[in-house]
Amino acid sequence: MNFFNRTVRLLAFAALTLGFVAHAADSAGAIIAKAALAETPAQRIETITSLIGSGDESIAGLLAAWKEDALFVYTAPDGSKIPVQLSGDKDDKDSQTATRVDSGKPLLSPAGKPLRLVANELTAVEHTSALRRAMKAVLDLLDLSTPDLKKRISAIQTLGFAQDAEKLAALQARQKIESVPSAQRALREAIALIGLKDANPEVKLASLQELTALHTIGSADALKAALADAEATHHPSLAAAARLALNAVESHLTRVNFFGTLFRGLSLGSILLVVALGLAITFGLMGVINMAHGEMIAVGAYTTYVVQNIFGTGLALSPFGFSFHLPSMNTGGWLYESYFIFALPLSFLSAALVGIAMERTVIQWLYRRPLESLLATWGVSLFLQQFFRRVFGSNNVQVSSPSYLSDNWTFHDIIFGWNRVFVIGFAGLIVLGVWLVLTRTSLGLLIRAVMQNRNMAACMGVRTERVNMLTFGLGSGLAGLAGAFLSQIGNVGPSLGQSYIVDCFMTVVVGGVGNLPGTVVSAFGIGLADQSLQQILLNPVLGKITVLVAIILFLQWRPAGIFVTKSRSLEG
Amino acid sequence: MITKFTQLLGAGALALGASFATAHAAETVKVGVLHSLSGTMAISETSLRDVLLFTFDEINAKGGILGKKIEPVVVDGASNWPLFAEKAKQLLEQDKVAVTFGCWTSVSRKSVLPVYEKNNGLLFYPVQYEGEEESQNVAYTAEAVNQQATPAVDYYLAEGKKKFYLLGTDYVYPQTTNLVLLEYLLSKGVKLENIGGGFKRDESGKIIAAGKYTPFSHTDYQQIIAEIKQFAASGDACVISTLNGDTNVPFFKEYAAAGLTAEKCPVVSFSISEDEFRGLPAKQLVGQLGCWTYFQSINTPANKKFVADFQAWLKTTKAPGVVKEGRVTCSPMVLSYVGVYLWKAAVEKAGSFDVDKVRAAYKTGLSFDGPGGKVTTQKNMHVTKNVFIGETKADGQFKIVKSFDNVYGEPWLKGQFKAK
Repeated sequence: MNFFNRTVRLLAFAALTLGFVAHAADSAGAIIAKAALAETPAQRIETITSLIGSGDESIAGLLAAWKEDALFVYTAPDGSKIPVQLSGDKDDKDSQTATRVDSGKPLLSPAGKPLRLVANELTAVEHTSALRRAMKAVLDLLDLSTPDLKKRISAIQTLGFAQDAEKLAALQARQKIESVPSAQRALREAIALIGLKDANPEVKLASLQELTALHTIGSADALKAALADAEATHHPSLAAAARLALNAVESHLTRVNFFGTLFRGLSLGSILLVVALGLAITFGLMGVINMAHGEMIAVGAYTTYVVQNIFGTGLALSPFGFSFHLPSMNTGGWLYESYFIFALPLSFLSAALVGIAMERTVIQWLYRRPLESLLATWGVSLFLQQFFRRVFGSNNVQVSSPSYLSDNWTFHDIIFGWNRVFVIGFAGLIVLGVWLVLTRTSLGLLIRAVMQNRNMAACMGVRTERVNMLTFGLGSGLAGLAGAFLSQIGNVGPSLGQSYIVDCFMTVVVGGVGNLPGTVVSAFGIGLADQSLQQILLNPVLGKITVLVAIILFLQWRPAGIFVTKSRSLEG
Repeated sequence: MITKFTQLLGAGALALGASFATAHAAETVKVGVLHSLSGTMAISETSLRDVLLFTFDEINAKGGILGKKIEPVVVDGASNWPLFAEKAKQLLEQDKVAVTFGCWTSVSRKSVLPVYEKNNGLLFYPVQYEGEEESQNVAYTAEAVNQQATPAVDYYLAEGKKKFYLLGTDYVYPQTTNLVLLEYLLSKGVKLENIGGGFKRDESGKIIAAGKYTPFSHTDYQQIIAEIKQFAASGDACVISTLNGDTNVPFFKEYAAAGLTAEKCPVVSFSISEDEFRGLPAKQLVGQLGCWTYFQSINTPANKKFVADFQAWLKTTKAPGVVKEGRVTCSPMVLSYVGVYLWKAAVEKAGSFDVDKVRAAYKTGLSFDGPGGKVTTQKNMHVTKNVFIGETKADGQFKIVKSFDNVYGEPWLKGQFKAK
């Protein structure tokens, strides 16, 4: 009985399989429709797998819809089941246009009219993780010929890492027509990786030599496995070749890490420079121990947030019991993404204005009293933090990065994030700008005169009050610019400034108070030291602690920092 | 329409009732709420205070417990761990509360634990935690490691992942969880060299810490991302993240900028729920995974009613300091809600508010059909519940991709999984 049952099942299975063969000429849509109606998950997977080799362009869309629960089974009035895909806008009854999966044509009622269906009333076709893997295998092969280069390379790599000999033919076929060098390279790697599993030792050896020449990071795992395999089977020439290939990969990794660390150090140094440059002016040149510097950074970051929302959908704020709505421009696409360009000058302006207001109300009375300025600016800092909480809420706010700041170039496996490249250039521009202002403008001349000797400058007829105000505004504005950038890589919240204030003072003090070139050197020095130590110690916390200890020791040796400035304003 | 009106009436009556509460002390039962309403943890913990107040109002509107109305005593732990212990002492010794709902961080729970054990109080703890604890004075409605972390690993293994990178914030929950996960991964046949993030060993060579750790409010993730990218270069890799709160923003921004996507190397985060998306850019996390015992997107009538009732309560409540706009529900909130109902069931079964009797009743396997499905209490003070894995969508909600039904809460996991 049991045997009989099994035979029937086998027969049925065979019939089913034959059925597929017989329908080999079916369109991809028809096959997917059949898979959607299949009774068991195993049949589904088999049907989907049969799509391999088909170059039909509708496959990608249909399988994606399936994965996203947008494929449904519609039961017609006569009881027959038809897989459909819903698309288009929902009308007031939530219904959408339905397209038949098998033919790609609109679903028609018996009367021949197009039907509209409601997604919530239908059940989506199920998918299990095994089925999704089968779909991925189909899509990977399909993606081998996609015009999208990134997708194509990723598909090639996936096939290579799977080391499945069955896919070799497809890769070799692609190799003949592939014209892009990077994809060509990925194909060579993938074919060599599959070759590692070949039974023939000569093919293995050739693959190992190919991988030595390519020395890609991704091949390391497969090479380790191949080495272990060669050692287990006592194949000395293969083991030697595998070791050679592994060494090539490792020396490549060392190079990548070296240059990567250098770049990351530069970018961290640039961030330190951008956040500390404003303080180098307010604390370094003017001698105000400005604890509210961090909040000037936060003013810039919040300005970016507000600008982003004005470019987007507007912003409802309810500070201190009032409630108002900032207008929205409802832009989209590149215009929306350009919000950051507009946010930069506005952040500078808003932070500069807050700085000037602070200078007029608090700091102008405290130029000769550094300790009081510490306490007073700390008070301002607390006041501003509470102000942010009341206006924007105590939660962090969301600032989304425009696409031109959230991608990367990868050159020889070293990642150059656009946001990081941007900050390096940005830091360079700001330093250049500040240097030009200080040395090439009449305002710069006045600033230098007042900072060197306030009384003497006043005697010469310089309006020191006004110069003080503008200098403080400049320093605060620079902090605002820093805030605009920080919103692109981190949190924007009321305590944003607190997390940077220590780094700022550290950079300025190490560089030498009152010395702008010193700030530049110390920012890059700290950045590079931090990232190299992280790379060596493999621990982000230990790296930072080591840098702090080194700074303390350095200041014991040179209390005035890298460059010592002789200035009367500091003693006075 | 009429039901809504009666609900409104009920809420109004409640507000009135609350103001007379002191006058009719005999008809109320005092219940403690111990959360940080200020300081760094306030962002997360005030949501729990809100949902607790909502639950009390809901129960009071239906007549209370054993004929008594719940009278909440709300105290502020202020994100200050020693203060938590003091406030707990005040709740137990001065206010003589029948039960307390509270704590978020493990360190605050550890801080109040001796107080509850000494006074024989009862604390309901609702936030995912590292296990290795089973006090008779704490009812853990929280996710144990096997109700969050190990199901996530199971999901990854089913998806064909072979390499796992462990990353977390440097404190007790991530450290302990990752050690358990390490044992679990090894027991599933994952090789040690395929587990990323690094290991710390003691002198005998035994692993005492696994994974990469960053401090609270760390901002520079460049190095770690570069490491993950190299780790993931050979495909089939994933990241298990126990990063806390706002460090997720710099991490995910850098992750996206380095060209890593959910397709190439997905990240499952155990600390990001719907509530956290109020301050996180969800767009940069699309496709990344979350694993909880509840998602707001669960499509059941019970959950829809819960979400709607909570929103309606937010509109009408007079409780001070409740943020009314942009609110969502999340797993810790639902576990707080469920905790109150489980306590109610235990009290009703015991017929008394006495802690010993309530505990005995609690251990008998009481069930409650909550927004996330059925939860059942266990002998070891934990609860059996459903676990869901969801993919992040651009609106900060999760699309459920996998669910595990009736997972038994097991606090003692270290040493349970033997390597193959």
